[in-house]
Amino acid sequence: MDEILNALLRALAFGTPLLLASLGAVINERAGVVNLGVEGMMALGALAGFAVAYGDGSPGSGSIWLGILAAMAAGGLAALLHAFVTITLRANQFVSGLSLTLLGLGVAGLLGKKYEGFPLIGQPNQWPFTIGAIVLALLLAFWLTSTRAGLTLRSVGENPAAADVLGLNVNLIRYGAVAFGGAMAGLAGAYLSLVYRPSWTDGMTAGLGWIAVALVIFVGWSPLRAIFGSIFFGLLYYLQFRLQGKTFIPTEFFSAMPYLLVIIVLALAGLRGQQGAAPEALGRPYTRGER
Amino acid sequence: MNKIQKLLTLALALTVASAATQAGAQDAKLKACFIYVGPTGDIGWSYAHDQGRKAAEKALPWLETQYVESVQEGQALPVIDRLAKNGCKVIFTTSFGYMDDTLAAAKKYPGIIFAHNAGFKRNPNMATYMADFYQVYYLNGLAAGALTKSGKVGFVGTFPIPELKRHLSAFALGVKAANPKANVNVKWINSWFDPAKTREASEALLSEGADVLTSAEDSATGVQTAGAKNIPTFSHYNPMLKFSPDNVVSGHVVHWDKIYIDFLTKVHNGTYTNKNLANVDYWWLLSKGAVEMGADNGLPFNAKFVPQLKAAKMMVGGKSVSVYDRIMALDTEMEKGGKFDPFTGPIKDRNGVVRVAAGKTMSIADLNSMSWVAPGVVGQVADEPKK
Repeated sequence: MDEILNALLRALAFGTPLLLASLGAVINERAGVVNLGVEGMMALGALAGFAVAYGDGSPGSGSIWLGILAAMAAGGLAALLHAFVTITLRANQFVSGLSLTLLGLGVAGLLGKKYEGFPLIGQPNQWPFTIGAIVLALLLAFWLTSTRAGLTLRSVGENPAAADVLGLNVNLIRYGAVAFGGAMAGLAGAYLSLVYRPSWTDGMTAGLGWIAVALVIFVGWSPLRAIFGSIFFGLLYYLQFRLQGKTFIPTEFFSAMPYLLVIIVLALAGLRGQQGAAPEALGRPYTRGER
Repeated sequence: MNKIQKLLTLALALTVASAATQAGAQDAKLKACFIYVGPTGDIGWSYAHDQGRKAAEKALPWLETQYVESVQEGQALPVIDRLAKNGCKVIFTTSFGYMDDTLAAAKKYPGIIFAHNAGFKRNPNMATYMADFYQVYYLNGLAAGALTKSGKVGFVGTFPIPELKRHLSAFALGVKAANPKANVNVKWINSWFDPAKTREASEALLSEGADVLTSAEDSATGVQTAGAKNIPTFSHYNPMLKFSPDNVVSGHVVHWDKIYIDFLTKVHNGTYTNKNLANVDYWWLLSKGAVEMGADNGLPFNAKFVPQLKAAKMMVGGKSVSVYDRIMALDTEMEKGGKFDPFTGPIKDRNGVVRVAAGKTMSIADLNSMSWVAPGVVGQVADEPKK
């Protein structure tokens, strides 16, 4: 019984940053914009959060809550860059997102040099983040399906031309959705550097942003399913170590398991035609008058 | 127009002149370049090498350095090409996985001196070097054995390669010597640097009952995880006491600068050239000061744990001695280059096969190709010989 509880707790702890980042990605993708920069925005958020929470290193010189706000601002600003390039300049969303990942990791690594090697004193509790993330997922699910604003966002992602005809400002809505996605990625980064592992290290996101990106497809762009998806991934991540040595399966297989699972799930989704759940205009820049 | 032309010419002349003086200054210096597998801020392996680089640059006024970080294993060759173009005279490649690339580069650039870290292939212009911890792992193992109450000591391993098997085994031999009933549970993360995997592997070990934890991953995550659960733990590679002041017992600290300064000085004074390195293999241990036992520089033990370690007793040659005294005595002996070695036979592997005969100690070659693990190791170990 203890064992099951422990596994669940670990799944929640590891799943929280995945849930936060993937909720943000669900929203910006529902508005029709793909952002592959999650990993980079996460790194920026992790650094900004740590830098502000750490202060000058003496107790009380930093603030956890300001750190969280700074992380969200950092992620959001980086996302606005992506929004400008892809929405205003209509550049390729995939290329811009990949560049954002490289840029974010690089900039965070460079600016973070002076914070390397220091622990955070007074690390915050995990639970406000975990519970907050789940509540937010529920709210977003309700918002998307049952409110006028949610419907507006979805219509921009499904059929921007029709939304435009109805008098909606497609670009403005997309800007907002992308900025929200970035703020959530930044928050996920802050969770890593303040709670999960209270210190800053270059490269500390170690691919979690990419898992969050894959998770969005895995959960079919649904905030509700994102809760279960991220807990499931968290569980898998923990179990690869818990099961290690208990079976004859080589440890390398367990290490590859989350990625294998992504491939299998995506293949299954493709077979079932679940790609149909993707917003119709996803990945395509909108230009008035073009179809 | 004329004015602008003049200005441009002047600017150009200034640039050329300053470049020429810079080049002139550079010629006088020996340029040594470093390739790191991780970020310099990993608080582990690459961080320690970079500390060594900085210390060498400080100590040697004629030295100039450059480094490239986060270079993936197997992708060192293009980086070496670039460094060669930049005028590097000595290139240090600091990961086992760079071995074949470094050898290929050594053949491609016979005029450059290479030194590969942690490998075994050499060339007339390519030496190998290593500061190894197996002695310190044994001493830490003694402390871990004395501190565990559950009899389960957790070990987060990176890759099951000879280096890790050597360290894990030395650690397990120490644990068993201090506490014959205790074992070392190992979990592999198959990565040199992955804080999230280290966190979850540590949590899995703790949930299986480990009450002492050590990690070989290049970050302070293992120490922080143990700290959050308030159990004893050991620094890996760098001083990590500040990451968990109440829980870090001891650990190991590397001093790569000792090797870098020695090697570069010998290159500078002409002892080492691009023709005579085929047999140059540094294998520096406690006796050369390349490694140190401790939770922090110059601090062998966290004072908080000393009473417990003094109270713990173990049998040495039929006599009961305190674990603390035993550790300190062996540390001093090995620092002096005395004859004690953790891998002195008779040693059987965990399947009961005799691996080191009575009275023999393992050679460097044996230690570098070790595939078996010592009794007391619990968990899956890849490429372990059955017979």
